[in-house]
Amino acid sequence: MKTPMEIKMFQETTADIISTVEFNHTGELLATGDKGGRVVIFQREQESKNQVHRRGEYNVYSTFQSHEPEFDYLKSLEIEEKINKIRWLPQQNAAYFLLSTNDKTVKLWKVSERDKRPEGYNLKDEEGRLRDPATITTLRVPVLRPMDLMVEATPRRVFANAHTYHINSISVNSDYETYMSADDLRINLWNFEITNQSFNIVDIKPANMEELTEVITAAEFHPHHCNTFVYSSSKGTIRLCDMRASALCDRHTKFFEEPEDPSNRSFFSEIISSISDVKFSHSGRYIMTRDYLTVKVWDLNMENRPIETYQVHDYLRSKLCSLYENDCIFDKFECVWNGSDSVIMTGSYNNFFRMFDRNTKRDVTLEASRENSKPRAILKPRKVCVGGKRRKDEISVDSLDFSKKILHTAWHPSENIIAVAATNNLYIFQDKVN
Amino acid sequence: MEFKLEAHRIVSISLGKIYNSRVQRGGIKLHKNLLVSLVLRSARQVYLSDPCPGLYLAGPAGIPAPPPQQQPGEPAAGPPAGWGEPPPPVARASWPETEPQPERPSVSHAPRVGDEVPVTTVTGVGDVLQGGEADATEAAWSRVERPRQAAAGEAEGPAGGWGVFPEGSLAARRPCGCPLGGEDPPGTPAATPRTACCCAPRPAEDEPPAPPAVCPRKRGAAGVGGGPAGCPAPGSTPLKKPRRNLEQPPSGGEDDDAEEMETGNVANLISIFGSSFSGLLRKSPGGGREEEEGEESGPEAAEPGQICCDKPVLRDMNPWSTAIVAF
Repeated sequence: MKTPMEIKMFQETTADIISTVEFNHTGELLATGDKGGRVVIFQREQESKNQVHRRGEYNVYSTFQSHEPEFDYLKSLEIEEKINKIRWLPQQNAAYFLLSTNDKTVKLWKVSERDKRPEGYNLKDEEGRLRDPATITTLRVPVLRPMDLMVEATPRRVFANAHTYHINSISVNSDYETYMSADDLRINLWNFEITNQSFNIVDIKPANMEELTEVITAAEFHPHHCNTFVYSSSKGTIRLCDMRASALCDRHTKFFEEPEDPSNRSFFSEIISSISDVKFSHSGRYIMTRDYLTVKVWDLNMENRPIETYQVHDYLRSKLCSLYENDCIFDKFECVWNGSDSVIMTGSYNNFFRMFDRNTKRDVTLEASRENSKPRAILKPRKVCVGGKRRKDEISVDSLDFSKKILHTAWHPSENIIAVAATNNLYIFQDKVN
Repeated sequence: MEFKLEAHRIVSISLGKIYNSRVQRGGIKLHKNLLVSLVLRSARQVYLSDPCPGLYLAGPAGIPAPPPQQQPGEPAAGPPAGWGEPPPPVARASWPETEPQPERPSVSHAPRVGDEVPVTTVTGVGDVLQGGEADATEAAWSRVERPRQAAAGEAEGPAGGWGVFPEGSLAARRPCGCPLGGEDPPGTPAATPRTACCCAPRPAEDEPPAPPAVCPRKRGAAGVGGGPAGCPAPGSTPLKKPRRNLEQPPSGGEDDDAEEMETGNVANLISIFGSSFSGLLRKSPGGGREEEEGEESGPEAAEPGQICCDKPVLRDMNPWSTAIVAF
């Protein structure tokens, strides 16, 4: 496993809790969404020739209000502005495009730079006031002059009114023309150009709602095959669907489920088996799922069990009742692959996050905290003491702070740079250079 | 017994969560409520199936169920006579448990989950969702009104629907007649243990302190016999009864009514939630049934016995748990 991360800590203390973090396809931009409906985009500084040893830092590039609170008068419901997910589109021109979604509405934002402005109009003066044509004696051609860089974000599309339930996932298709949005019971397929229609491709709503037993918890398109996607359920199962098979993909092509271990049965077995996140590997060969206590890696060619299971914080297994009481058992942790699919990362409590090296089978627990980190310092691995004598530097399970949870993390697509959202702070860590 | 206590606690916590979900910003979260209802169902199954003397009183069709295992040290006072008096017939079956009664004593302590319940009924959530599916505003409001009115004079708390353990309240009330502990402010998670209740320590005190297996209900039960008509016997809860909604006729007399009684209000309450469920408004067929059920439960709720589904239940549950835990 690679050496412990060197902290290059960049903190943006936002007013609101960060609810999603996502690098773009080159890693140049990092977007965060928060509970207040804002999106903040960070851009990596270009490495300068003067400081070749210093990796580029991420600085704020653009901030905009993506979603506002809304009120559905028909149903007397408030719609939260919290950004549930952000997904970048691959860059096709100078502008950047991203999708952001709250519970009900997906928006396509264009983020573009303006560093020149036209000057020298004939009919307008420099302040924009109209000139009296009678005073114009000569004509000139307006020219573009440099100006201070301005980054503007404009909403280009609004995809609304297609979801009865709360949207939990969006995923851009590899064809770059379509994307899907998934709520608790349905998945819709959209074309980026068309906002007043979407195709429903999965519908698991039972005819009699009293027979409801599971909901969709996450969905993602295959990174290369534009006809394939997966969705996970609250019952701990994953279904892979092929859109070529039929228009409505209610029947899965593959069904991934691990038989339950009867010795671990408890009142909360169902809750902890609910999958909170599903991610394809970059290769497209594996999927990774996160449930409350574990991360599992599945081979698409083997449906009956995962090929790897990693315990994230198994010491919580005996505390499930308390975690149920304080609602922590419902926390939805995400998981991410590194660029080469060799390391997986996920968050935990006490601002801990965990990395698992799939090849060496080694794992490490790190902490995202201001007190323990100085810029450029190496992150020290942490350890949770599960019983018996607690060594120095270990933390006992009972001292864990369950209000400090790391639900959202992101890994740069090609480098060892990670972004970790700890409530309302964003930490960016880079690998040691040498 | 420990399982039963834990199950009891989990049920109250779960009900509190469902109640609190009503006022959450952004609407009721389907996923979370589904999970909570699954836990609720598991806990309830364990609670009902965990053999404990004194808690299984009238078996099906009014047969007193023999305590499957007599816990050491417990007073031999068996299930008091008179328990199991059925409430007036309730039209609606709500909790879709279909385990046959005779199975109960042989049930293991391990929580059984959906595998034994033939119909995939996440009733609570289902009801919520059903309720949400159509504009059931009127039905919903009428249901809200009736339990509230019935509970007038009782503290407002995590409302209605906690009818799963209605008997306990009456059982405990009658001996000492005190209003049982503090009142729950609305929205308080039911799990919060309450402290001040003169009833609570009594059952535990009088029993041998050592075994937590003591069932205070046994004491209370003595008082309950002949209680207000219509109060379902404590412990006789579990009656699995096909849901009315599924158009199956109620299977038995009193026991079915007992179950209807206690679970009816749960479903009722959850149906009430349904009207504010995010994105779900119940359409007419279900809505019509709900309305009917709501009306039927109204008069019953008005009877003193039926109030057991409201605050008194809650109040009794927690002092009881607290007392047990204390010993």
